[in-house]
Amino acid sequence: MENIGYLFAAYTVIWAVVFGYVLMMQRKQIQLQRKITLLQESLDESKTNGEKQL
Amino acid sequence: MNGVFTRIFAIFWKDMLTEIRTREFVFSVLIFAILELVIFSFAFSIRANMVDMAASGILWVALTFGGVIGFNRIFAVEKENARLEGLMLCPVDRFVIYWGKLAGSFTFMLAVSVVVTPIFLILFNLPIFLPRLALIIVVATIGFAAVGTLFSAVAINIRARDIMLSVLFLPIIVPVIVAAVKATAPVLAGKPWVDILTWLQIMIAFDIIYLVVATLVFEFVVEE
Amino acid sequence: MDNKRILRNNVLLGLGLVLMVAALYMVFVYVPTEKNMGVVQRIFYFHVPIAWVSLLAFFITFTFSILYLWKREMKWDSFACASAEIGIVFTTLVLITGPIWAKPVWGIWWTWDARLSTSLVLWLIYVAYLLVRSFATDPARGARYGAVIGIVGFIDVPLVFLTVNLWRTQHPATIIFEGGLTAPMLLTLVVCIAAFTALYMLLLIHSANLKIMDADVKHLKSMLQEE
Repeated sequence: MENIGYLFAAYTVIWAVVFGYVLMMQRKQIQLQRKITLLQESLDESKTNGEKQL
Repeated sequence: MNGVFTRIFAIFWKDMLTEIRTREFVFSVLIFAILELVIFSFAFSIRANMVDMAASGILWVALTFGGVIGFNRIFAVEKENARLEGLMLCPVDRFVIYWGKLAGSFTFMLAVSVVVTPIFLILFNLPIFLPRLALIIVVATIGFAAVGTLFSAVAINIRARDIMLSVLFLPIIVPVIVAAVKATAPVLAGKPWVDILTWLQIMIAFDIIYLVVATLVFEFVVEE
Repeated sequence: MDNKRILRNNVLLGLGLVLMVAALYMVFVYVPTEKNMGVVQRIFYFHVPIAWVSLLAFFITFTFSILYLWKREMKWDSFACASAEIGIVFTTLVLITGPIWAKPVWGIWWTWDARLSTSLVLWLIYVAYLLVRSFATDPARGARYGAVIGIVGFIDVPLVFLTVNLWRTQHPATIIFEGGLTAPMLLTLVVCIAAFTALYMLLLIHSANLKIMDADVKHLKSMLQEE
């Protein structure tokens, strides 16, 4: 079982990097969600403004 | 068919005239390449018995990085003078522009090599009359120019222009560099053709492949 | 159409999970320890599939780049870019796990053999791909230039490999993978390749969808601001 430290290191790196990438995607998704919400609100506002003007 | 060659030559000749009048490109690249040779000699403390191993590499590093600096200029000069749009308005196939520019950059880099290589051979006490080396340089320069011209067109339109050309160019031409260095070493040592043939074939294959690919792909780079 | 997509994604997720668990079992429990290299050799079972999948990823980028230049639909570009990103992630893993494996077994971190060198050049080419995209002055140009790099870069890969391989065979390589693969080793390897291919597809779909959504949101935003 010598060198098992290296084995552990390799698999940890693989797991960490893949997980890191997934986390990055997750964060991007949250950002996008926030933008969509803002856009939605903006759209609703302009609709109500349009209705007021009528 | 005749018209195509005429147009290519027209673009090429325009660049040549500009360069002959201003001489900005060739001199600066020349000095740079020579400086590289000198710095590398000092850095590696070349002794007589090390020449075989290191000399080939030193020459090609000097030519490669000199070339990179040069390729930056190919389309930069068009962009600076806002001539790129004018060039684009010409009713020519896009690949004509590529080949015109390619002819120019090939000639420039060859001109630089013609001066740098003899200086290199003298500095390292190598035989000067080496026609096989000339062949290798010509073939390698075609490859450099093919890739460099294409990427120059890409780089001028993005930020960090100069660095991006190097970043794009250098990984792609690794095969040419490896083959050129490995082909040059036996030539400098006076070894027979056999040692060089395979490397030459690789370089020729690279040249053909990249000339074809770049020609096909160039229109996508310059479309607006 | 949407329900079909959700179903397909869930099936892929389930399949990927099963394959990954199976792969882990086979690597750590099923396959016997290699006699020469010991336990460390088990890195091989993830290292090689990751390398293969990274090549697959760049091939997908190559294909979708051509598709994009031909059809000019944003979704092809999103897939091309997502695939390149994942390819870089996987290539990075290859470049890290390779030395971790090599050091205890052969005593050196790095060697300029054909496969490692090609992986390194591959990494450099596709990092350049991402840089070109991010340095472009507008997204449409970035997509177009990226597609060009995606095509030109991939064609270079076999050239690099062949050239470095020839170079190295002239000087006998210090690293030789002796012995073939026994049946259990081969089976383990195949399962791992399947597992990582499934992982790649999952990541690709997710990442590409994010990019497509991002482009849509930007488009909507600009439309809204025009009012």
